[in-house]
Amino acid sequence: MDNTIISYTKNTLLLLFLISVSSCSKDTPGVVNEEELITTVVLNFSTQGEPDQTVRWETEAANSAEIILKANAEYDVQITFLDESDPNDIENINEEIIEEADEHQVFYEFSGVSVTYGQGSSDALDSNQNPVYINSIWNTNAANSGIVRVFLIHEPTTKSATTRDGFGGETDVSVDIPIRIIEE
Amino acid sequence: MIKSFFKITVLVFFLKGFPLWSQNCDFILSGTVKDLHDGSPIYGAIIRIEGTDSFAQTQENGTYVLKALCAGSVVFLIEHAECNSIRKKVSINSNTTLNFELEHHINALEEIIISDNRLKGLNGNAKESRLNADQISRFSNQSLADALTTLAGVSSLKTGNSIAKPMIHGMYGSRVGIIANGIRLRDQEWGPDHAPNIDLNAFQSVQLVKGATALKYGGDTPGGIIVLSPHRLILSDSLFGQTIMNAATNGWGGSITSKLMKTSSNGYYINGQLTAKRFGDLSSPQYVLSNTGMREMNISFKLGRSKISKGWELNYSRFQNETGILRSAHIGNIQDLLRALKEDKPLRIEPFTYRINAPKQQGLHQNIHLIYFNQFNDKLKWKWDYNYQVNTRKEFDIRRGVPLDVPAIDLKLQTHSVLGSLQWKKGFNWEMEWGINAMLQDNYSDPNTGVKRLIPDYIKTQLGSYLVGSYKPSNSFHWDWGVRLDRVGWDVQKYYNVSDWKSRNYNTIFPQFEVNNIGNQILVNPALNFLNFAAQTGISIELSEQFNTSFSYVLSQRSPNASELFSDGLHHSLATIEFGSLTLDKESSNKFLFSLTKTQGKLKGAIEPYFSKINNYIFIAPKALQQTIRGAFPVWQYEATDALVWGVDTVLGFDFTDQLNFDINASYTHAQDMKNELPIINIPPFNSSQSIQYSSPKKRFDIKVMHHFTATQNRFPDLNFNVTTLQEDGLIEQEVDVSTPPSAYQKLDVFFSLYLGNIEKSKTSLRFMFYNITQSKYRDYLNRMRFYADEIGRNVQVQFVFSY
Repeated sequence: MDNTIISYTKNTLLLLFLISVSSCSKDTPGVVNEEELITTVVLNFSTQGEPDQTVRWETEAANSAEIILKANAEYDVQITFLDESDPNDIENINEEIIEEADEHQVFYEFSGVSVTYGQGSSDALDSNQNPVYINSIWNTNAANSGIVRVFLIHEPTTKSATTRDGFGGETDVSVDIPIRIIEE
Repeated sequence: MIKSFFKITVLVFFLKGFPLWSQNCDFILSGTVKDLHDGSPIYGAIIRIEGTDSFAQTQENGTYVLKALCAGSVVFLIEHAECNSIRKKVSINSNTTLNFELEHHINALEEIIISDNRLKGLNGNAKESRLNADQISRFSNQSLADALTTLAGVSSLKTGNSIAKPMIHGMYGSRVGIIANGIRLRDQEWGPDHAPNIDLNAFQSVQLVKGATALKYGGDTPGGIIVLSPHRLILSDSLFGQTIMNAATNGWGGSITSKLMKTSSNGYYINGQLTAKRFGDLSSPQYVLSNTGMREMNISFKLGRSKISKGWELNYSRFQNETGILRSAHIGNIQDLLRALKEDKPLRIEPFTYRINAPKQQGLHQNIHLIYFNQFNDKLKWKWDYNYQVNTRKEFDIRRGVPLDVPAIDLKLQTHSVLGSLQWKKGFNWEMEWGINAMLQDNYSDPNTGVKRLIPDYIKTQLGSYLVGSYKPSNSFHWDWGVRLDRVGWDVQKYYNVSDWKSRNYNTIFPQFEVNNIGNQILVNPALNFLNFAAQTGISIELSEQFNTSFSYVLSQRSPNASELFSDGLHHSLATIEFGSLTLDKESSNKFLFSLTKTQGKLKGAIEPYFSKINNYIFIAPKALQQTIRGAFPVWQYEATDALVWGVDTVLGFDFTDQLNFDINASYTHAQDMKNELPIINIPPFNSSQSIQYSSPKKRFDIKVMHHFTATQNRFPDLNFNVTTLQEDGLIEQEVDVSTPPSAYQKLDVFFSLYLGNIEKSKTSLRFMFYNITQSKYRDYLNRMRFYADEIGRNVQVQFVFSY
């Protein structure tokens, strides 16, 4: 009986020792480089006879910049998506969007202002010749102010919708930028 | 021991020819003796009348007959060489049928699980919280949680149809312990969308212990424990096995499982088991649930030698699965969620396929278990368990610009565990067990996913000791008790966003954890320690021949799990950002359970009310909105409150005749967050299932019609939030209703079983099962996919069970 308990205790201690030996500390884990991150949306507007206008939307910034366009005018609009999480290695996401054009769609939704847009001259097309609107032509109407919501949609269920809901898919980017249309 | 058993057998056969001496008495007592765990007939059990020479022995099919009994009160003793004896007082005034269930000592490999319902099974056919081999085989192609929901008080928390985790009294995950083959399952139990990595087919019985916490395996399971036991050992030369084949129309798939066991009289035994499952997309009544297919492949192997005084066992099991997650449930932001909520149907419905695309989960769980025991004399035995479990888990999301085969979550959890125990028995009445349990757990989160780690790298250690005992002066009284103390330590290495670290004030509370800054991230090394105490006690009393009662009290303490402490990331199915909290303290639960059981007569049943008060109950709640490039996201953070949980589980059975019976099974749970005076989220609503079963007189076939009712949950917290949508005239706030539970529903299942061949010897059967036969269209509150799609529709399943 006593021997039993002694041998039991011995074994116990031995196993506990083994466990404590094996519990050495771990290696320092590596930092995760977040892929597929988009931090910045840049909109560039150009029209004849005026200097270009650039508006940026950045994660963790105040983002008060406003788009100011002239009424009844035509603008060439270039959108750029960037990953600026590492300032030393800024990544242009557009390349990827153009490469996988079938799976991406840029979409603009306007409120308070009347703007129509169509395919730009250097726009990317998907395999069914649908414009991705990486480059687009905007036609402004009457002067007013409002908001433009910029969407990048991933794997939309259709590429020819006219509303955000119509496209389906998952939202990769959804940012609101104030927009003002002024008299000429 | 075996010798003496043979002696008795010979003696019994010898005596059988003689009439049992009684004066003027002609009552007959008959019945069956079955195994308590799996319901299999026990051969060679002796039924004796105390103080007389009358006795009988059970036949191969477990039946016995005692003739020429006198009216009046007698005491029966039911004995078997490998079982605990039963002593039962019965009054006889007519021909009586009395069925017994013996607690089979799985020879010396027996487990002592201190449970509140230990005695319940000893007295005939009480409706119990366990599944026998026959019930398990019905669920052969489903999950553990599905099988358990047939028991009162158990629900399942689901993510779709294939990912289900059992919920006892509204608690799940870390609050429910799963013990398989005598070891605690250590997988990533923390998140609601991880199902336990267990193949039900590898086990012979499943026991649910709601009240008692099996202190041997830990004192941190306020919900209860689920004990899965393998086939019991027979120390004779035999070879037997079983194959179950299933084919089902919903998902156009099926499963096959096969097991084989060889035992020999010198104590050696070997056992192998294999399961394969494959299903394509499931269907709701109206549409295909795209990307809900699954595959599973499991194998287990066991080798051991058991002699009465000494024994060892080595077993290995491997569980591997791949499960698709409803494609439409992967969303990008809240506006996407709102769009899904508005629609009656999922946004993506594709033609049926067997292909499993992202989003999906892949899991692999391997387990090596080594047991050695030595019984020094009939009073003392010691036992060692060493167990190594490796659990890997990969989750694949819909991603942009990343190869399809790169997972978004890639975790590897390794657990070493040692359990040493010393069992001591004094006579028939006293039993005690002392043990120590050490555990080392290592979690590794692969950084190559390109996604911020949801769970960080850590080492968790646990050292505990327990003392449990029971006192059983007679069969009508049982007292058990136990205490356990654990020290849990965390050594974590985690990167926080500097902004998150500061906004939570961790830089002032935990400056000692900071290691260094890398860009906008900070590496920290939290070292956290918890000391947990658990205690439990319970009594069971046999009030009369028909009634039993039991009462138990459990104190359990649980330290927060990895998810509650450290989770940090985006959940794609609900568009929420989830954060753990470093400041959480341990959770303490005081639970009281009571049960009253009627075990005999035409009406049998049990009523089990319970009450628990949980201090520092850890839960997740919405805190704020965080602006991101995808719009505003709700941030959910783990926090603690005090909770009050009570409820009642009821089971009732009524035998109209020997062939026709009716069963009802109902439970209600009420849970309240006392600090915030709000109902607790994800608590099962009132539900009941009722069934009527007819068995043909010779048990050639049986037919069962089962109706399920689930009420709507009226008690839920309002966690709705607003999202701004853009309309013609500017931004409009719209409410996103993620709180309101779905409506009540009913569904109907029909089962038809045909027993083939020689019923006494083999258990070959053919079953036709019709689930949701009326194509009831419903959504379930406890399914995370309820925002996106209906539950599955009709399923016709054919099952063939062949034993050899």
